Amino acid sequence: MDILSILINGLNVGVIYAMIALGYTMVYGIAKMLNFAHGDIIMVGGYAIYVFCAMSGSLPMFFGAILISVVVCTLLGITVEKVAYRPLRGASPLAVLITAIGVSYLLQSLAQIIFKSAPKRVAVPDLGKIMIGELGIKVSTLITLAVSVAVMIALSCFIRYNKIGRAMLAVSEDRGAAELMGVNVNKIITITFAIGSALAALAGLFYLLQSPYMTTTFGAMPGIKAFTAAVIGGIGSIPGAMVGSIVLGIIEAVCDAIPAVAPYKDAVEFSILIVILLVRPTGLLGKKRREKV
Amino acid sequence: MKNLAKKIISAVMAITMIAVACVAFSSCSDAKKNYAANNTEFYIGASGPLTGGAAVYGMAVKNSAEMAVEEINAAGGINGVKIKFVMMDDKHDASNVSTNYATMYEAGMQISLGCVTTAPCKEWKTLSYEDGLFFITPSASADIVVEYDNAFQMCFADENQGTTAANYVNENVSETKIGVLYKSDDAYSTGIFNKFKSTLSSSKTLVEASFSGETVASFATQISQLKDCKFIFMPIYYGPAAQFMDEAKNDVAPDAIYYGCDGLDGIDTSVEGFDISTIPQEVSYLSHFNSQATDGAAKTFIDKYVSKYGKETLNQFGASAYDCIYAIKAAIEAAGNKIGVTSSPSEIGDVLKGIFGGGFTFSGVTGDSITWNKNGFVNKSAIKYIVKEKNS
Repeated sequence: MDILSILINGLNVGVIYAMIALGYTMVYGIAKMLNFAHGDIIMVGGYAIYVFCAMSGSLPMFFGAILISVVVCTLLGITVEKVAYRPLRGASPLAVLITAIGVSYLLQSLAQIIFKSAPKRVAVPDLGKIMIGELGIKVSTLITLAVSVAVMIALSCFIRYNKIGRAMLAVSEDRGAAELMGVNVNKIITITFAIGSALAALAGLFYLLQSPYMTTTFGAMPGIKAFTAAVIGGIGSIPGAMVGSIVLGIIEAVCDAIPAVAPYKDAVEFSILIVILLVRPTGLLGKKRREKV
Repeated sequence: MKNLAKKIISAVMAITMIAVACVAFSSCSDAKKNYAANNTEFYIGASGPLTGGAAVYGMAVKNSAEMAVEEINAAGGINGVKIKFVMMDDKHDASNVSTNYATMYEAGMQISLGCVTTAPCKEWKTLSYEDGLFFITPSASADIVVEYDNAFQMCFADENQGTTAANYVNENVSETKIGVLYKSDDAYSTGIFNKFKSTLSSSKTLVEASFSGETVASFATQISQLKDCKFIFMPIYYGPAAQFMDEAKNDVAPDAIYYGCDGLDGIDTSVEGFDISTIPQEVSYLSHFNSQATDGAAKTFIDKYVSKYGKETLNQFGASAYDCIYAIKAAIEAAGNKIGVTSSPSEIGDVLKGIFGGGFTFSGVTGDSITWNKNGFVNKSAIKYIVKEKNS
């Protein structure tokens, strides 16, 4: 197994984590909460695509399925925020975290009741590979990478230049002051969740393009790994999410390539999370925040 | 004065609590209560994955066992006594087993089919050994499941599956590079893999690839490790196997052979949307049941099962469970009046383990003239079941 194929395999997996991590990091950066149900919103998006692709395999239907999945996930994200997180706005962060885990299990169980637990193959189009000499890179990986970078740039510009984006930045820096300045905090947080969930839907789509098999636990582990990636890159930092994800993807590919280490790859990844939190808690690209006392 | 009163009251309360606790704990270690003393039917219990990724196996076992029990009860039961069969969901997770076991045991369970999958059954074997409860599992195949003398298997043990597969490769496969894909966090998969590896001839090179977790984002790494192999052994479940074969179909040579064990059962029927004819390679697995049989006991079972439950959960796990119920019936009949409907689990267990380990022969859907060793392993012939031929 040579270095180049390990890097490409790492990229395959890393770009998917990147799409997921962007949503995580955005919601954390602005609403200051870790939405552990993010991975399961991805799963709902995946099932939405499955249902619509199962109706017909044609290309227009496929694009329609993507659109519907984005709409479904956005609505789901907004609903979850209104019902589960907003009432706990003033509570300790721990309460919100536990609620998020509860929402995660709720979504998984509902999916299991509706769709049963057998794995299902989703009829997404097979995009094939591009061959560079002997190495093959999946077309879906390149598309995912392109879209992730585009989303990253779009989000950064949105936050810096758009009025609503600047309001989001204000809410993340000082919620009380933003409210005093006339910003409707509830609306901003709802918009944040909406954007985050739309990104989750796209993450589900790219995940399926990579390997079209749906189960009800489809989003759970990738969600946690993407969260790890976001922390490694610096939670709250959008470029950090991208960098952390690619790094984590490559680490995973390296572990997979060594037969003796492969069974312990999850242990390795989460140990790195612990090390980063001990050594450099703000992550690779996070800024050190000085708190004025 | 107040302080002294407080101290005395708290001391008295503490002593009372300790005394009550002692009484409670001592009554727990009293002579084993026979919960079956009021039974009016033989209570056969089982635990299996009725939900989750392995649900197709748990449901097959539940449906088939219920079908067998209905047939036996309709014909008058065992020596005139009907059977009550109860199966609880363990979601293929060993941590759910002790609750299931306790619930059924205290409801009067006397005999059991144990668990459907290996990891939960390792828990069951310990619990049932303490109570002397007999079990014959249709499919929990790890060797260690039958470690104690109250345990028997209707399915091939992993030792058997791993060894049979390796011997098959040593004798029939001319390739020197043999690939294997196993799931590193699954006792079933690693058990078979280890035995396969140690039995494989030293003239073969083994290329190992593993994965872990309930969902796999992509098998790209494993595919690049295995793509030059012409024979790939897969002691894994059908879900990940289908996903791997799908992702690998343009990378692995079209004349390669995929060879698995009982976990591959269902690969052609139970993954919705997966069409096995799109896989160019040959796919086969080790089995004790041919789900496309055209005659014999297997065909009769298939017809009855499909008309009652449909094809989706037709697999060797169900056929094996059907045989387990009928084998228990035959053994109880052979025991005569040593076993009665109110006999305790340990009394029944003593008699049954003597019968099964003492030359008992049974013919059913999953084999003719099946016998057992004293240590619980089954003796019967294996078939290499070709699910799908190589595409020409």
